Amino acid sequence: MKKTLIIILTILIATPFVFFLNHAYHRSSKQKLYLLIWSDYIKTDLIEEFRIQHDCEMIIDTYDSNESMYAKLKFGSGNYDIVIPSGYFMEMMNEQGMLTPIDHSRLPNLKNLDPEYINPIAPELLKIGVPYMISIAGVAYRKDKVSEIEDSWDVFNDSKYRGRMTMLNDVRETIGAALIFLGYSVNSVDPDEIDHAVETIIQWKRNLAKFESEQYKSGIASGEFLVVSGYNGDTLQVIQENPNVDFFFPREGTAIAIDFLTIPKEAPNPELAYALIDYLLDGSVAAENMKTTFFFTPNLAAYDLLPEELKTNPLLFIPEKIRKKATLIRYQGKKGIIYNKAWNKIKGA
Amino acid sequence: MKRNSISFWVTLLVLIFLYLPIIVLVINSFNDSRFSSQWTEFTFKWYDKLWDEYTVWQAFGNSLIIAISATVASTILGTCAAFALHCYKTPLQKIHYGLVYVPLIIPDILMGISFLLFFIAINIHLGLFTIFIAHTTFCMTYVTMVMMSKLQNFDFTLVEAAQDLGANRWAVGRRILLPLLMPGLASGALLAFMLSIDEFVITFFVAGQGVSTLPIYVYTMIKFGSTPIINALSVIILALTVIVVCIAQSLSKEDQ
Amino acid sequence: MEKKHEWFVTLPSFVWLLLFFLIPTCIIFIYALKSQDIYGGIEPGWSLEAISNLFDKDYTLLIFRTLMISAITTAVCILLALPVGYQMAIAPKRFRKLLILMLMLPFWTSFLIRIFAWKALLHPEGFFNNLLAFLHIISPNTTLLYHLGAVLLVTIYTYLPFAIFPIYAAASKFNFQLFEAAMDLGASRSQAFLKVFLPGISKGISTGAMMVFISTTGAYIIPDLVGGFDSEMIGTRIAQKVFVERNLPEASALSILLALVVFLPLLAITMFSSRPKKLELELRNKE
Repeated sequence: MKKTLIIILTILIATPFVFFLNHAYHRSSKQKLYLLIWSDYIKTDLIEEFRIQHDCEMIIDTYDSNESMYAKLKFGSGNYDIVIPSGYFMEMMNEQGMLTPIDHSRLPNLKNLDPEYINPIAPELLKIGVPYMISIAGVAYRKDKVSEIEDSWDVFNDSKYRGRMTMLNDVRETIGAALIFLGYSVNSVDPDEIDHAVETIIQWKRNLAKFESEQYKSGIASGEFLVVSGYNGDTLQVIQENPNVDFFFPREGTAIAIDFLTIPKEAPNPELAYALIDYLLDGSVAAENMKTTFFFTPNLAAYDLLPEELKTNPLLFIPEKIRKKATLIRYQGKKGIIYNKAWNKIKGA
Repeated sequence: MKRNSISFWVTLLVLIFLYLPIIVLVINSFNDSRFSSQWTEFTFKWYDKLWDEYTVWQAFGNSLIIAISATVASTILGTCAAFALHCYKTPLQKIHYGLVYVPLIIPDILMGISFLLFFIAINIHLGLFTIFIAHTTFCMTYVTMVMMSKLQNFDFTLVEAAQDLGANRWAVGRRILLPLLMPGLASGALLAFMLSIDEFVITFFVAGQGVSTLPIYVYTMIKFGSTPIINALSVIILALTVIVVCIAQSLSKEDQ
Repeated sequence: MEKKHEWFVTLPSFVWLLLFFLIPTCIIFIYALKSQDIYGGIEPGWSLEAISNLFDKDYTLLIFRTLMISAITTAVCILLALPVGYQMAIAPKRFRKLLILMLMLPFWTSFLIRIFAWKALLHPEGFFNNLLAFLHIISPNTTLLYHLGAVLLVTIYTYLPFAIFPIYAAASKFNFQLFEAAMDLGASRSQAFLKVFLPGISKGISTGAMMVFISTTGAYIIPDLVGGFDSEMIGTRIAQKVFVERNLPEASALSILLALVVFLPLLAITMFSSRPKKLELELRNKE
């Protein structure tokens, strides 16, 4: 009896192991491309297509925040061919020499990029990365549960929805929101302005449930939260699931984050890396991706390939007057320590 | 059993309290609604989706590899330690005991951060190997404690008798110690295995961002509030746990 | 057995623990004395900044809150575990095995999954919330999640078995004839319980209390997933410093603080009791 039980136990443990080995076995000796990208960033069909076209293997690791990505690069195992940091993280990584400059001559599809969005970007940024997706912060809310809402950052001061609101758990985004609300620049390092922003956030905090950068999406879809600060692309994804969600860009202005395609130093296969970047810059590929992820790619060749309802969607093609009030978050180097100190104060209050 | 005593009712309430979330979990795994808070209709689709989800099986595989290797390593290390601590009472063993005892009472977040800093300081890449080291360290202390209590009940006169009859050290080990200690070793190993499979906090700190174990996968799913396949996964893990625990129980019953 | 053999048997675990436990612990102390560079690494040289930051008043609040949560959780767990342990000890043999199995089962399922189940249960749009609102126990707009109450509920839930098993282990060794004897001598049931039973299982109570207290004080996932601003604990802050702020020196300093917060109360208590220290892991042995 005991022996049979031991045998059953061993079989139970061994079976999933066999499954895993089966999956793992399908690794061949083709060329490999190592990607470190945001989760749910590139449509799986497109990855498949590239894989077949170039007869290579794609090994993908994902992250959900710039901090995770950075920690992974610094302390993790292995080298990557492509990494997609957001603007100011890219600057910080470049300062440490973690990236290689982009050779524009190897990217014929670069011409597809929309000058209207590209021209405002500082040239030094374009030297080390290719702008891929643009997200703009704003406020998402449940239009079926929230009666009237002001299109201002001060919505977080409203105690009517106390405990049902969240703001991004992101130092620059949230402090930035307060700075913009008060009329200052999102990149300000003036101690008085930052103190003022801290006071404002501490006041808002009384109505918030938590600072949350990941769960706010499912939270607002399921009704756990009623008003959240978040990104336009994420919210568009949520709206597909739950049409009761709506979004506004606060009238005081907002912050832009641009994700750049970059090639880290010691990339094992820069050839394939350039091939992938060029592939992603292709009009039809960019359009496909936009249709799935709802993040905006400034790609002229892609616009016409989009369905009608996306072409006119103000959450995707953001109206110019809002873009004028949106500022790119820039890396502040050593002066940026003031943000962390401010964040500590906010968290402690 | 006095049916109307306070302790009976409290025990009943506690049992209900303990099982409430689990029942919710099981019900929700068959809930068609995307959001676990509302019931729409009965369905098996989440189990279906779970089957196709490649990342789950990869995480499960990693968990198994780590658990099996950590179990082997920690059982060996723990048993050695238990022998040393049981048979010798020197000052060296006092220090040894301290080294074994303290990790048991430290909160796991402290162990996690100490491992992380250690691996960063010696510049080793975070991944499966670092998780293995962390798990082995953490599990061996438990195995040591289990084996120590088993050794206390062990009849060492059998060893002496065998030696009197002329058996050398290896024969004693193989024919006497090993078979008689086997149930103890098995329960120690099982304990190490279960601890490793469910370990989250320490693993989270030392896995880096790419390697996923089953608990890390569950945590990521919770954070992202992704599809309710997590409910289906939970129910399966639950069922497996029930089976394993029942088997272990009947195994230990046989020894009594 | 000879000296050589002692070294031979001790060496593997001793060296392993020295390398992977003692040295990492020392490294925490070293890191606490360094300062952070802006990239999330360590600057060369020494600094007392991380440690002096610990004296900020918001850390005092954090410590107080953590201790309060641990104290409440420990008290409630012990209060619940006593009747349960008692019931298990006096139950007839066949019920007892079943009871042990039933209490162990939730304990062995993944603890993350159980927390996730609570999140679903306490959801603002969920069945439970609607039920309580319907019964007018709470107003329709209250959230059951993301505050202190939720954290306490889940910590008590998670760590209750840690209290039950040591108490049961002690209760099962308790000589119930003493109980009968006390009642024969005229004590009421509750008097016998308080004055005979409780002291008799004091070992189990203290082990259980210690396990719950240590686990709760170091809790990080529970306040992270179901807590809000009013329920941040030291563990959550450490995790934030490591993963979000990448401030390893401050994380190390805070870890040392956590270790002190865990051990000083325990040290104080053991100094008051005169019993010899010996850890009983009966709860782990019950499988």
